[in-house]
Amino acid sequence: MTLISQIVEQARLAARALAEFGGGLFNPTVRLGITGLSRAGKTVFITALVHGLMRGGRFPVFEPLASGRIAAVRLAPQPHDAVPRFDYENHARTLVDERRWPESTRQISELRLLIDYQSQNGALRTLTLDIVDYPGEWLLDLPLLGKSYEQWSAECIAQGRHGARSGLAGSWLAHLVTIDPLAPADEGVAIEAARLFTAYLQACRDERYAMSLLPPGRVLMPGDLAGSPALTFAPLELPEGAEPPHGSLSAMMRRRYDSYREVVVQPFFREHFARLDRQIVLVDTLAALNAGPDAVRDLQGALVSILDCFRIGRGGMFSALFRPRASKILFAATKADHLHHSAHDRLEAILAQMVAGAIAQAGFEGAEVDVIALAAVRATREGHVRGEGGTLPSIIGFPAPDETAGGETFDGRSEVAVFPGDLPADAGALFEPGSHAFRGLTAGCGHDTDFRFVRFRPPQLEQISEGLPALPHIRLDRAMQFLFGDRLQ
Amino acid sequence: MTESFRRPAAFQVDDPRVVVAEQQLVLSESSEQALVATDSRIADAIANRSRHWRWGTLFWSACSGLVLLALGIAVTNFVEELFARTPALGVVGLGLAALAGLALLALIVREIFGLIRLGTIDSLRHRALTTIGNDDRDEGRAVVTDLLSLTRRMPQLARARHRLETHLTDIIDGRDRVQLAERELMEPLDTEARRLVLSAAKRVSLVTAVSPRAAIDMLFVLINALALIRKLSVLYGGRPGTIGVLRLFRQVISHLAMTGGVAVTDSLLQQIIGHGVAARLSARLGEGMLNGILTARLGILTIDVTRPLPFAALPRPALNDLVGILLRPEGREAGDLGRSEPGKPEK
Repeated sequence: MTLISQIVEQARLAARALAEFGGGLFNPTVRLGITGLSRAGKTVFITALVHGLMRGGRFPVFEPLASGRIAAVRLAPQPHDAVPRFDYENHARTLVDERRWPESTRQISELRLLIDYQSQNGALRTLTLDIVDYPGEWLLDLPLLGKSYEQWSAECIAQGRHGARSGLAGSWLAHLVTIDPLAPADEGVAIEAARLFTAYLQACRDERYAMSLLPPGRVLMPGDLAGSPALTFAPLELPEGAEPPHGSLSAMMRRRYDSYREVVVQPFFREHFARLDRQIVLVDTLAALNAGPDAVRDLQGALVSILDCFRIGRGGMFSALFRPRASKILFAATKADHLHHSAHDRLEAILAQMVAGAIAQAGFEGAEVDVIALAAVRATREGHVRGEGGTLPSIIGFPAPDETAGGETFDGRSEVAVFPGDLPADAGALFEPGSHAFRGLTAGCGHDTDFRFVRFRPPQLEQISEGLPALPHIRLDRAMQFLFGDRLQ
Repeated sequence: MTESFRRPAAFQVDDPRVVVAEQQLVLSESSEQALVATDSRIADAIANRSRHWRWGTLFWSACSGLVLLALGIAVTNFVEELFARTPALGVVGLGLAALAGLALLALIVREIFGLIRLGTIDSLRHRALTTIGNDDRDEGRAVVTDLLSLTRRMPQLARARHRLETHLTDIIDGRDRVQLAERELMEPLDTEARRLVLSAAKRVSLVTAVSPRAAIDMLFVLINALALIRKLSVLYGGRPGTIGVLRLFRQVISHLAMTGGVAVTDSLLQQIIGHGVAARLSARLGEGMLNGILTARLGILTIDVTRPLPFAALPRPALNDLVGILLRPEGREAGDLGRSEPGKPEK
């Protein structure tokens, strides 16, 4: 049954790829996959990218723009009529005028960008760049495609009983032991279990815990599916090997889990992830470091399981026709402006360590891989603070209202210099199992943490004669050069 | 954390201890001298090089010392003689000798500075190559700063330099920064270098085709090659004196020996065809063609040796392109020469 559906799925993907390959010969298109868990900065990245390209921002490393070969960049109607358009104008206004970060994304949306450029040999061309924005929570569902209900239940329960999560999962686990999975199906029990399970997952997302591995993602960000039976399921403690009787609670839960995968997850994967040309994986490493070692390991687990789902590697003629793959993948540690640039190498090392498996796999498949520290919008300036123990390399900016650091709460109107703490030189030490190498917010020691990365407000732009300039950034040009600079040769 | 990691801290921005980083870094005019005088790595590089040639250097230094001494004694004797004959003549002679000595000193100093500058360019290229490899941010910034001061006297780069300077305080990684500098600063110079190589190659092929004696073309080819090396070196920021040019020549020749095998395979066909067709028309013309192609190759190798950055972001000029251009106008010139050919035996 699953085998047949898998074959059908693959055939569908191949057919679409074939059709698109034909179209791509006349109108070169880059499908840019922007992958990132929630709060990693996908929306900000897309907004800054479009804003910078359309305004011809300062991108010295992005060669086509720096050497003046890009004539114009314009927005175009997107390919799929049923998907909302990425609300670029609103997001840009929020960032630039109101100096707030965009709200977290609740819906999938698309944007198509046309880049008119002149190739190195003088020919006038147009490159189409397709970009998709979606709630990062949904990404967590991709690993479910390869898991049965029984596997998933067992994993969820094991996670809930372990480490920092055990404190949060208490009421859900207490309810869990009262349920008999083999009893006849009862909607009331199912709703209650789903409610408690959702509450537990929501609690894990708090800034103090910053857990990442929280499938199923639609439970957290339901979109238009809120309350539907496909979302009303929860893991159950199942007896080993016993086939649940027809009409039992566990049979119902399993059916809902399967339909969730088929109705919700698979179309999402098929529409937006199976056919990417280039991919950027945005990772908010700093939030995990803020929270503590458990959050860091959790983030690593989530990334590993998600990256397993992607097809990465250099494609030949055959694979371009039938199995398109992302031939370049960029791992970006976002919010690099929360650190002094001298610490960027260490941040990159931590991220590289976190996704080491995926990097090795991508390299093996022949894809080009790079790891950078990125800030799509740079909210801070740099400086240093002279103290007793030498100078502290610091960043200066306006912290977001209600952010705290060192026992102080900021009002969002005064500028502050922050030293966020030294990142470890040896990135591997962070990931050793069982080690509690540093103290984060999870440890509950209040303000006495080893790192404190404060969220800053977006920068104030100074009016110039041609209106507002493009937003400042860190290495956004390098990311663009890596992701699609070669297609603009 | 077991090591002594610094704890996070926050300060108000008006705290006197807070220092905001400079938004715009301005290079001082004197940094060029500082670059030449203080960069110990350059001194190391020169020391390393001279170690290989210690005996040769010793020999030539001793010889030139002897010649100088002999010259000094001869001049002293001559001036004394002049004094013995007429004191007035002696004063004039002494003055002339002093002027000559001063000029010689100036020449030597200029030669030394020229050599140091060539060493700077060499080490800059090596550093840039290392930076492209390891993507070191600070080293990339240092390389670009040094490059900016090296090219400070080049008026055609004023705008490019300004653009590059505005990016000095941006956070850009080492490899990207070096490639950015290459795109900004080297592109106009590369175009000019190609033009120089091409015109030298044309001149050589023309002169070889019409010159009456083989010895004359050999001399012309050699002089032309040295002039080309000098021009290219000056173009890319060097200021070589005579010894500097000779040293560059030696580097180019050893470079030719190393890359010759590779270069032969990629352009042999072109050369044979070019040479063959021209040779059918006239043996002399064929020789001229070959000499022109050799000069073009020498020019490209000289660009490799004198360019302060390696070719990374921009394409290296290919011999085939140059030869292609060389062949096209030659076609027209071949017609012209063909007409003038009957007039030659009358000479």
